Amino acid sequence: MDGIRLDIRFERAEARYAGRTVLQPLDLALSERRIGVIGLNGSGKTTFARMINGLVTPAAGRVTVNGFDTATETESARRQTGFIFQNPQNQIILPILREDIALGLQARKLAKPDVRAAVDAVLSRFGIGHLADRRSHELSGGELQLAALASVMVTEPAILIMDEPTNQLDLKNRRLVVETMQGLNETVIAISHDLELIADFDRLLLFHEGRLAADGAPAEVIRHYRDIASA
Amino acid sequence: MRTLYVEGRSVLHRMPPRAKLLGLAVASIVLFATRSIPLLGMFCVASAAVYLLLRLAPREAFERLRPVLLTIVVVGLFTLLFDSAIEAAVFVLRLTSLMLLAAAVTATTGISAFMDEITRLAMPLERIGLVRAADIGLAVGLVIRFVPEVLARTQAIRDAHHARGLKPRMLTLAVPMIILTLRSADEIAAAIDARGLRGQN
Repeated sequence: MDGIRLDIRFERAEARYAGRTVLQPLDLALSERRIGVIGLNGSGKTTFARMINGLVTPAAGRVTVNGFDTATETESARRQTGFIFQNPQNQIILPILREDIALGLQARKLAKPDVRAAVDAVLSRFGIGHLADRRSHELSGGELQLAALASVMVTEPAILIMDEPTNQLDLKNRRLVVETMQGLNETVIAISHDLELIADFDRLLLFHEGRLAADGAPAEVIRHYRDIASA
Repeated sequence: MRTLYVEGRSVLHRMPPRAKLLGLAVASIVLFATRSIPLLGMFCVASAAVYLLLRLAPREAFERLRPVLLTIVVVGLFTLLFDSAIEAAVFVLRLTSLMLLAAAVTATTGISAFMDEITRLAMPLERIGLVRAADIGLAVGLVIRFVPEVLARTQAIRDAHHARGLKPRMLTLAVPMIILTLRSADEIAAAIDARGLRGQN
């Protein structure tokens, strides 16, 4: 990823839902390769992540991804960011994995041979070529996460946002997902309660009651989080 | 995610999706153009024969049709009570034939093939600037994709009732099912946006 500019900026960005402020005005610049987001349930971390992808647009202020405003240049901003949802079942649209992965490229009107080549390449990249013609309900939790990852990475976003990537996975599947995640060249922003997963990240953000409560090195931020959780 | 598609190599599987969809459309017009009970009866038998081509196990064949069949029976009974036996017979034979043919088409056509075909059919509308053809294809694909999801969810809610020793009732089944379905629909819509599957130029 050398040479690719990675720059996410929140400029007094604020999110409201049903008249309530769910994320207080936030000023932030992110450029690290591995960023973790932690916080109690309902602390605003998912809203924060969704703002990067333009799924939630700021009620005030602005969010830019590599210079693209997520509110006014949503399509361009989204091409920079891939998003893996908490429940990969809801992310996979078509039952056959190969067909589902192809969807993102078909939407960009790529020629059929190019789509086929890109799908094969991404299946091979994540070591799931043998699952290409399987139905998604036949896959294990870890395989589903990898399938969701492939469906997003096929369009080659520079930034990958993962919402609880190891949630509800057994140890074997967790290891599979963690190892795959560690091998990614792209910038990864992971929202997680799995503190072990993000312990060696470059930067950690802690959200609490809709505010950024801590921002820094993992050890320090995790200590702060434990204090909040035990209060 | 379960699917309505059934693997197979029957004549219907090998037919192009366009021929199946056009066949279904023509059958619908013919069915609604006649009120002859013998003709509708023959149509119904022929539709059942088409459905049997799928060679499904009897239980699965019935389970796939059950929700629609129940609706047809209920509306047929109301028609019998408030109108006439002839009207009820016409209604039941028409809709049963259509249900069997539509079930055969969905069981032998993958969602992706459906979406491609619908997208192609909607292209003239895109050319005159009315819609985005790919969005129409995606919408139809999602409807087909959602049917088994909703049925599975209803079964899970029914099981939860039994596990708690409660008798499932229409209201206590419908309310959580609707809430769960809407929540899941929200998440799927967000995933579609996040993956850039909709409304691209």
